[in-house]
Amino acid sequence: MASLNDIASNIAEVLSYNPAEPLLFSSGTFWALFLGFLPLYSLLRKRWTQMAVFVLAFSFYFYYRCSGVFVLLLAGTSLVDWLLSRLIARPGSGPTLRRTALVVSLLCSLGILAYFKYANFFLWNINATVGSNFQPLDLILPVGISFYTFQSVSYIVDVYKGRVAPTRTWLEYAFFLAFFPALVAGPIVRADYFLPQIRRNTTATREETFTGFWLIILGVVKKAVIADYIAQYNDLIFQTPGGYNGFETLMGIAGYTMQIYCDFSGYSDMAIGIALIMGFKLAKNFNFPYKSRNLTDFWHRWHISLSTWLRDYIYIPLGGNRKGTARTYANNFATMLIGGLWHGAAWKFVFWGAMHGAGLAVHKAARPWLGRLGDSWPVKALSWTVTMALVAALWVFFRADSWSDSWTVLGSLAGDYSPAKIAAFASARMLWLILMATIIVAHCLPTAFWDKAAAWFVRTPWLVKLLILISVVQLVLELRGESVAPFIYFQF
Amino acid sequence: MTRHHLSLWLLLAAAFACFAALSAGDMPTVCGHTLKSSDIVPTLFSARSTDNAISTGGPTACPAADSTIEEVQFPVPVDTAAQTILFIGDSMLEGLGPRLAAYASHNGHTLYNVVWYSSTSEVWGRSDKLQSYIRRLHPTYVIVCLGANELFVPRIAERRREYVEKIIADIDTLPYLWIGPPNWKPDTGINGLVASCAAEGSFFLSDGMQFQRSSDGAHPTRSSAAQWMDSVIRWMPAHSNHPIRMEMPAETSARPARVFVHQPDER
Repeated sequence: MASLNDIASNIAEVLSYNPAEPLLFSSGTFWALFLGFLPLYSLLRKRWTQMAVFVLAFSFYFYYRCSGVFVLLLAGTSLVDWLLSRLIARPGSGPTLRRTALVVSLLCSLGILAYFKYANFFLWNINATVGSNFQPLDLILPVGISFYTFQSVSYIVDVYKGRVAPTRTWLEYAFFLAFFPALVAGPIVRADYFLPQIRRNTTATREETFTGFWLIILGVVKKAVIADYIAQYNDLIFQTPGGYNGFETLMGIAGYTMQIYCDFSGYSDMAIGIALIMGFKLAKNFNFPYKSRNLTDFWHRWHISLSTWLRDYIYIPLGGNRKGTARTYANNFATMLIGGLWHGAAWKFVFWGAMHGAGLAVHKAARPWLGRLGDSWPVKALSWTVTMALVAALWVFFRADSWSDSWTVLGSLAGDYSPAKIAAFASARMLWLILMATIIVAHCLPTAFWDKAAAWFVRTPWLVKLLILISVVQLVLELRGESVAPFIYFQF
Repeated sequence: MTRHHLSLWLLLAAAFACFAALSAGDMPTVCGHTLKSSDIVPTLFSARSTDNAISTGGPTACPAADSTIEEVQFPVPVDTAAQTILFIGDSMLEGLGPRLAAYASHNGHTLYNVVWYSSTSEVWGRSDKLQSYIRRLHPTYVIVCLGANELFVPRIAERRREYVEKIIADIDTLPYLWIGPPNWKPDTGINGLVASCAAEGSFFLSDGMQFQRSSDGAHPTRSSAAQWMDSVIRWMPAHSNHPIRMEMPAETSARPARVFVHQPDER
C-alpha cells in the first residue's frame, strides 16, 4: 500500500521534468494540469495583469516540462528581444542605432538557434570536407526553439519596419512569445495578429469554448488514434529498408504521408482549440493539404503559418516576384531550401526543401502550358496524382534515417504487387487499412461538413459530449503503443 | 468563472473521475475484450519501492543475485548444436531481434522472430499463438521478451500469474529464456512475478541496466538494444540452465529467417 510519502513522490515525479516524457497535449498529465489551470484562468480573465502573470507562469512551467532548464533561455531571449524592440521604437533612436539593435536581436535569436541546431551539422561537414577531427558538441536541442525563434524574428522585424508597435511591458511580449498552446510546435504566431487579442482581453464565448474543445477531440483522434497507430507499421518499413515487398513498401510510404499530416495537423488542432477555449484565435495551420493539385497549392495548405512566414520574411525580402522570372524561381528555390534546413540539420532536409523549391519553380514555369490543358476531371485526377506522388516520395527522404535508406525504400517500390501479397497484407493489417481509409475519407469531405460537425458538437447536450470524450480517450488507450509517441514536429 | 468554462471543467473532471475509478480495479470486459486501463490510480498510488523477490536496482542486471538460483549447479555445459530459435514478445524485439539474428547467423542457428506490438503476458497467455508457432516452426529453443507493457499493472502477481504460467506451459519442455523488460520506472512486480514462475536460469533481469532510450523514453535505441542483447548473451554461459553456442559475430545486425508481425488489436 502506498504511503502519503509515496503518493507525494509520485505526484512530484509526474510534475517534474523528464526528458523522456514531454508534456504533450494528448497526455493525461496535461489535462490534469489544465483542470487546475482553467478555473483560475477563467477567474482572472478580466484582471489583465494577474491573468497574464498566471498564463506566463503556466507557459514557462509547460516549457520547463518539455525542455527543462532551457526555460531560462526562453525567458532570457524574450527579455533581450523586448529591450531591443523598445530601443528600436524609441522616438530618439537614430537609424544607425535602430539598425544595430535589429542586427543584435537577429544575431542573438538566430545565433542561439544556429548554435543548438546547426553547430554539429557544421562540424560534421567540416570534418567530411577537409578531413579534420572536430568532436561533436554535447548539445541538446531546446524543444520548439525553431518555432519561437521565428516568432521573435518576425516581431523584431515588424517593430523595425513599423508594422507593429512594441509591447509596453516585457510581460506582454513574453506572453506572446511563450503562449503555451503554440510554444513548442506552432502554429507560428505573428505579433500583428496576436498582440491586439492580448490587449482586447476578451472572454471566449460558449460557441468558441466548445468549438475549441471539438478541435481538441479531432486533434486527439488524428494524433493519438490514427497517427500513432499507423506509425507502428510505417516504422517497420523505414527501420528495415528493402525488407518488404513493393505493395508493403507502397503502403508504408502512403502510411507515413498520412501519419505526418495527422501528427502535425492534430497537434495544431489541439493548440488552436486550447487557445480558443482561452479566448485567443490562432490562425489555421492546415487546410486539407492532400487535396492539392499542384505544389503551389500544397504550400498554401500545408503548415500555413510557416509557409506565410517564409514568404513574408525570406521570399519577399529576397525580391519575391518583382525582379524578373529567373529571379522569382531562384527566390522560390532559396526560400524552400531554407525551409528544408529549418526542419532539421541534415542534408536530407536540405534535399527535401530543394526538391520542393524546384517543384514550385517548375510549376510556376509550366503554368501557361498547364492552363491550356483545361480543368476537366481527367486533368484534375492526373495533376492530383502527380502532386501526391511527388509529395509522398519526398516524405521518404524526410523520414528515412539516411540517404541510402531513402533510395532503398523507393527502390523497393519496384517489387511484388501480386494479388496474393495484397490479400495477405489486407488480412494481416485490416485495422491499419481501416484507419487509413477513415482519414482519407475524412480528408475528402467538404469543409462545410466539418463546420457543420463542429456546430453540432457545440449544440449537443453535455452528457453526449462527455460520452464522446470518454469514447475517444478509451479508443486512444486501446490503440496506443507501449509508450506515448512524441509529436514529429517537436524535433524542429 | 464563466458558465461555459465551468461546463467544460465539469466535463473534463467527470471524464478524469471515470478513468481514475476504472483504473483502480479490474477493467471491464466487453465482448471478450478487456478494456485497457488509463493507469491513473496505479501511477499516483503505487509504492515507490517494489517488494519483488528480485532487486530492481543496481548498475547491472544479473538474476544470479537471487538467492534461489544459488542452489543450481552452474555453469551448465553449452549445447553446441545448431538451434531453431523462436523469439517472441513485444516491440522490444525490434531492437533485440537484429542483434540476435547476427548471433544466430554467425553460429548456425535459425531464428524466427514474432513481434506482437503492445502485447503483454495476458495477451499471449489468452491466445494460442505461441503453441501455434511452436507447432508450425518446430523450435528447439524459445526466447521471450515480455513485460514492458505491464510495468505499472497493480496487483500484478495475482492478475497475471496465470498468463505467465500459461506461456511457460505452452513452451512445455523446450529450453527457454525470458528476457525481462528494460524498466524506465520501478515496476509493480512483473519482474518478480516472471522470476518466480520461470525455471532457474531461465530469466534474465534487465531492470537496473543502463539504457540509452529512443525519443519515446521507453525503447532502447538500436545500439543500446544491441548492447542489451550482448549482455544477455554474455550472461548465458554462466547463468542459463541451457546455454547455447553464441559466439560474438562480426556483423552488428542481420535479418532473421522470418519475422512475423501482429498488431495490438489482434487476438
